[in-house]
Amino acid sequence: MFISIDADKCMGHGRCYAVAPDLLSDDDEGFVAQRGQCWEIPEGLLGQAEEAADACPEGAIAVLETAPSNA
Amino acid sequence: MTETTHRGCPVAHTDFTGTAPLYEHYKMLDNDREQARFLFNDTTDRGFFMLQRYDDVRDGFQQHDTWTTAVRSALRPNTASDPLLPQDLNGQEHVKLRRILNQFFAPAAVRRMEPMAQQRCIELIEELKPAGSCDFVAEFAIRYPTDMFLALLGLPVSDGEQFLEWSDEYFSALLAGDPAGATTAKASIMNYFDEAVNERRANPRDPKEDMVTRLVQARIDDVPLTQDEILTICLTLMLAGLDTTRSALGFIYTHLAQHDADRQAIIDDPTLIPKAVEEFLRLYPLVFQAGREVQEPQEFNGVELEKGDVVWLGIAQANRDPRKFDNPDEFDVNRPNVNQHIAFGGGPHRCLGMHLARLELKIVLEEWHKRIPEYRITPGTELRERGVQLSMAALPLEWEV
Repeated sequence: MFISIDADKCMGHGRCYAVAPDLLSDDDEGFVAQRGQCWEIPEGLLGQAEEAADACPEGAIAVLETAPSNA
Repeated sequence: MTETTHRGCPVAHTDFTGTAPLYEHYKMLDNDREQARFLFNDTTDRGFFMLQRYDDVRDGFQQHDTWTTAVRSALRPNTASDPLLPQDLNGQEHVKLRRILNQFFAPAAVRRMEPMAQQRCIELIEELKPAGSCDFVAEFAIRYPTDMFLALLGLPVSDGEQFLEWSDEYFSALLAGDPAGATTAKASIMNYFDEAVNERRANPRDPKEDMVTRLVQARIDDVPLTQDEILTICLTLMLAGLDTTRSALGFIYTHLAQHDADRQAIIDDPTLIPKAVEEFLRLYPLVFQAGREVQEPQEFNGVELEKGDVVWLGIAQANRDPRKFDNPDEFDVNRPNVNQHIAFGGGPHRCLGMHLARLELKIVLEEWHKRIPEYRITPGTELRERGVQLSMAALPLEWEV
C-alpha cells in the first residue's frame, strides 16, 4: 500500500502529522514535510496512513493499492 | 416584481447581520442549506451566490486561481478602503508573504510559546477565581488572546488593557461596515504598532524567533516590506486573532456550562481536550462564511458565474452538513472525521493563526478546569449573539468559592 500527498492541495492544516506522528512530520512552515511525495507505507503504519487521509480538510492525501504509474 | 430565481438559483433574503438569540444564526444557516444546493442572497448591494454543502464549500476554497479575496466577506463586499495583509494578496504574491509569516505560526513555533501561554492563562484565572463570578467574555475570553497577541509581537502584556479598548472599538466599526466610525481608535493602534516596529528597527532581535524583527528584515524579490505594509500585517493579525478567540471561548463555555457530561469527560480525562477543541470548532464556527470575487466567467457545478460575482463560502453550513458529519448538531468528542472540519477555512488563505488558536483553547480548557471545574451560567441570563461574525456580548458565569 502507498500513501501520496498532493503538494498543490496541501495547505498546511497540520492535521495529518498530528494523527500520524510515526509516518509524517512537519517542516518549519507547518506543512507536512513529505508533501509532494508518494511512497510505500512501512509495515504496521497503514492505520496511521488511513487516519491521515481521513484527517485532511483539503483531501490532499490518498492511500493507494499500487503506486501510480507516473510516481 | 421581485425575482424568484437568479441565474437558476432560488433567491433568498436571509439577513445574517443582525443580533439574535444564541444559536439563531446556525438555524438560519442550516435552513438555507436545506432549501436548495445553491442560493442567491439579495440582502447586500452586490448580492452573493451561496455555496453551502461541505463538498461545494471545500471545492470553492480550492478555486483560488480564479476566485480571489478582492471580496473577503460576502456580507461586506466593499472593503477596498481597509487593506488587510496577507489576505488581500492572491497567487504568488500571497504565497511569498505567507512564507515569511508561516514560520511564526507553525506548530513548532507555537510550541515555543506554550510555557508563556500557560503561565499567563493561570495568572488570569487565579485573578478571577476568588470573586466566584465573572463576565467570562469581557473579563477572560478577550483578555487572554489580547495578551497572547501582544506577546507574539514581543510587546508587554501590561499594555493589554489600553490596547483592548482601541481594538474593540475599531473591530466593532469594521464589522458594522463603517470603518470611518473608528478612525481615532485605528490611529491609536497604528501609532502603537509604528512605535513598536521602529523600536525593533533600532534594536533588532533574533529574526528566527521575533516576528517583528523578521518583518523589518524580510525581502520579497529583493524588496523590503514598507512600514505601511508591516503595520497592516500587525493590524490584520489583531483583527484575525482577538475577536475570534473570544467568540470561540464564549460558545465553548456556554456549551460546557450547560452539558455536565461533556464537562465531566474533560475533567476526568484532560487528554481528550485536543479532540474536544476540534469538535467545538466544527460545531460552533464563528467565522460562518468567507467571501470571494469571481475573476473570469466560469461554470461551477451547474451555476454560470460571471466576472465580478460575489461567492459565499458557507463555512458553518459545511461544518454542520449532515451529508458530511453524522448528527451534526451533536457534540461528539470521538467523531471520526472531525479533523476535516473547515472552521479555519481552506485553500491558501486558510487561517494563519489556526495552530496558535488551538493552543490557546487547549490551555484554557486545561487550566480553567483544574481550578474551576464546576460553574454555571448566572440564572436568568438571556444569551445573545452578534451576526456577520458570531460573538457573544456577555457570558456571566458563577461558581462556589
